[in-house]
Amino acid sequence: MAISDVQEYTHLTDEEVEQIGRELDAIRAEIEDSRGAKDAAYINRMIKVQRGLAAAGRVSMLAGTWGARWAPRAEKPAVAAGAVLLGLAKILENMEIGHNVMHGQWDWMNDPEIHSSNWEWDTAQPAEQWKHSHNYVHHQFTNVLGYDNDIGYGILRMAREQKWSPFNLGQPVYNAALATLFQWGVALHDLDIERIRKGEKDPKEMKRQLGQIFRKGRNQIVKDYVVYPALSGPRWKQVMVANATANLSRNLWSYVIIFCGHFPDGAMHFTEEEIEDETRAEWYLRQVLGAANFQGGPLLHILSGNLGFQIEHHLFPDLPSNRYAEISVRVRELCDKYDLPYTTGPLHRQYGQALRTIIKLSVPNSWTSSDQPEPPTPSRDRKRRSDAERPPRRTELGGWMRRAS
Amino acid sequence: MSAVVDDVGAKRWVTQCALSRICGICAEPLGRPVAFLGTPDEIAHNALHLPPMHAGCADAHRRTTAADPAWQVVLTAGFEFVRAAKEDDDRRPTFQPNSLLPADSGG
Repeated sequence: MAISDVQEYTHLTDEEVEQIGRELDAIRAEIEDSRGAKDAAYINRMIKVQRGLAAAGRVSMLAGTWGARWAPRAEKPAVAAGAVLLGLAKILENMEIGHNVMHGQWDWMNDPEIHSSNWEWDTAQPAEQWKHSHNYVHHQFTNVLGYDNDIGYGILRMAREQKWSPFNLGQPVYNAALATLFQWGVALHDLDIERIRKGEKDPKEMKRQLGQIFRKGRNQIVKDYVVYPALSGPRWKQVMVANATANLSRNLWSYVIIFCGHFPDGAMHFTEEEIEDETRAEWYLRQVLGAANFQGGPLLHILSGNLGFQIEHHLFPDLPSNRYAEISVRVRELCDKYDLPYTTGPLHRQYGQALRTIIKLSVPNSWTSSDQPEPPTPSRDRKRRSDAERPPRRTELGGWMRRAS
Repeated sequence: MSAVVDDVGAKRWVTQCALSRICGICAEPLGRPVAFLGTPDEIAHNALHLPPMHAGCADAHRRTTAADPAWQVVLTAGFEFVRAAKEDDDRRPTFQPNSLLPADSGG
């Protein structure tokens, strides 16, 4: 079955599919041509605001704890305010800055710091591993069962096409644990625990990746749970708790935003057969059908890294995020014109649907009804694929230094 | 260039380098600037086929026996990754450097 045979496309002729592709190409070209100083000012402003929030948060905590001797009643509010400011700074850094910079959205500026090659973000996962697991595996194989490791992050069953096992009964618990410890779940994402468990992972590559994760994780822990608490002197415990609260709020927020991107009703899953010989237009259409937006004001969109425009982000992952809002108007018009579904809704509804799917799929399919169209293929084992199964190497380039397993 | 290349495989490897932002030669994370190797015709059309590389890797690869003598190094801060459209005879994805840098910025 080809992607063009997916039910949502069958009313389109081949020429219409290609015409949609050309219209999306035109939107892309227009944004590329108009990319410039205003966009550069936007990302520079975001970084300035983020650093201001982080500094204000740390200073507020230190002032609160050191000032407790003279103003004991001000300590708790100051530390609480510090936790809120630091949490906002971490959210902004991870969502709107780090994620988008590492996509190469701002590489065209030729800025020595704001570039996909050298941005290291304030979370436990090393940037290099994120660029593989997210930019390549997730964005190239979006919602393709067995290929896109973001479908359930290796611990949740998120599609009825995935085989049920008694392990899935614990999904509500695994989901709560994943949300709470999200940065650590993401840190381990590119390791591919399933392949390690089966003894299929290249030990050398595993050791290299574990070393990177250990160093990055250690630095994060030392910063938030050793250095800044130590700077607070005898009141170190308050700062440690405040930093943990900031990290927890970032974890919960980024988990909710990411789960709203592909798991609300209407976001489709695909099979490996459907991505064979995909043209650019078909790739675009798979992104539209596999992603889900949510609605909200400008502040909500900034704090979610503009991933409320998940459809537009998947169509154009390397265009500046501040342009997604204007692109979304045109993409929606295009979907209306060609009678294609455009999944969107308020944030609470989108997350509610994702949560319902998690709970429903913890039990066998026969116990529940589907909220999606019936899968085109029967349930079967859809194990995670390694890179060796995804991309044969380009042999004429010669000096391949290490296996990317 | 070696002819022992599965076309789909080559396409997938190029895609992995483009999206993971790793060098097509050494598979380590790309730096800044990003280097491409291309023939004068590819450069004139701003549509390069080989994956992004480190400037040093591109330069070294140009000197190997597998190199096309016509290859030139293109340095850029960023690039667009363009998948093949249905009407394209050549099914390989292309790279469009979007912020060209002078040849002496390779470090």
